[in-house]
Amino acid sequence: MTGPEKRMKPWIKKILIMGLILLIGGCFAVWYIFTEKFSDTSKREAAFTVNAMDLIHEFEKYDSLSNKKYTEKIITVNGRVSETETADTTINIKMTDTTSGAYIIFAFQQQHLMEAKQIKEGDSVSIKGSCSGGTYSSILETEYITFKRCAVNK
Amino acid sequence: MKKTILLFTMVTLVGASFAQKKITTSATVNFDATTKLDALPKAENKTAVASLDTKTGAVAFEVIVKSFSFGNPKIQEHFNTAGWMDSDKFPSATFKGSITNLADIKFKNDGTYSANVTGDLTLHGVTKPVTNTATVVVNGKTITTTSDFNIKVADYGVTGAAIGAGKVSTDPKISVIAEFK
Repeated sequence: MTGPEKRMKPWIKKILIMGLILLIGGCFAVWYIFTEKFSDTSKREAAFTVNAMDLIHEFEKYDSLSNKKYTEKIITVNGRVSETETADTTINIKMTDTTSGAYIIFAFQQQHLMEAKQIKEGDSVSIKGSCSGGTYSSILETEYITFKRCAVNK
Repeated sequence: MKKTILLFTMVTLVGASFAQKKITTSATVNFDATTKLDALPKAENKTAVASLDTKTGAVAFEVIVKSFSFGNPKIQEHFNTAGWMDSDKFPSATFKGSITNLADIKFKNDGTYSANVTGDLTLHGVTKPVTNTATVVVNGKTITTTSDFNIKVADYGVTGAAIGAGKVSTDPKISVIAEFK
């Protein structure tokens, strides 16, 4: 005997379907979040475009405010290269205020290392990257600002 | 005349002592807190500042915590939150110490040496003593130092749900590689 009382009530069915959709959506969202990778910085829009020396002076004068303003944002920095530092297979580019010794240092995204290696001391370049903030170095006794996942603007 | 000679000698000595201190602004610090449950919590920081004084054996390094670059944006965000490194409140991590067997390391002779290092590591606003060995490779004028060690994050007041759930290691491995030229 298959009476109507054994059939699932329509509102229960709707809730179960909704729950299933939410579960699948939730699983997809978790999967997406934890398999996501940082996108290519060269394809990202910069929140600020600044001159290197202006940025250094801003951090030197207003360290806390500058960290709030720039940290974890994509910034384009224009300036002259004071030094290139190689270590193993990687390269970092520096722009230094020769008066105070304060500097900005850029570490590059893997796919942009080759173009960074073409840069020479004295070159005027435009670099885009994620600002990690600045702080006073007790080793160097000066301010330094670091960038990660950088790309050279062409 | 004597004063001039004395002044010249002092300037020369001070200059010579400074020359023993080598500094790099491109040291690498790797952080690996992966577990069997999660391979994501690992990062590298390629803009650490490190110093080595070959005369006194003093060693130091410092990093901006937000300079650690993770592969995954969400993990990087978690790493910097108040539940983890709280990098807005504690923006830097530092180590200051010294080589205790300095006589065993011949900085003027090419070779690979084992250095015993002891000092204080400050992380998350907590300072703890650390003792470890480092490998020192001397190759001409280039000195490369490498040190791997584990820290117990609970010792530094770093706790969190992900650590409790086994998704983040309770004793991550830290690797510091510095090339001094």
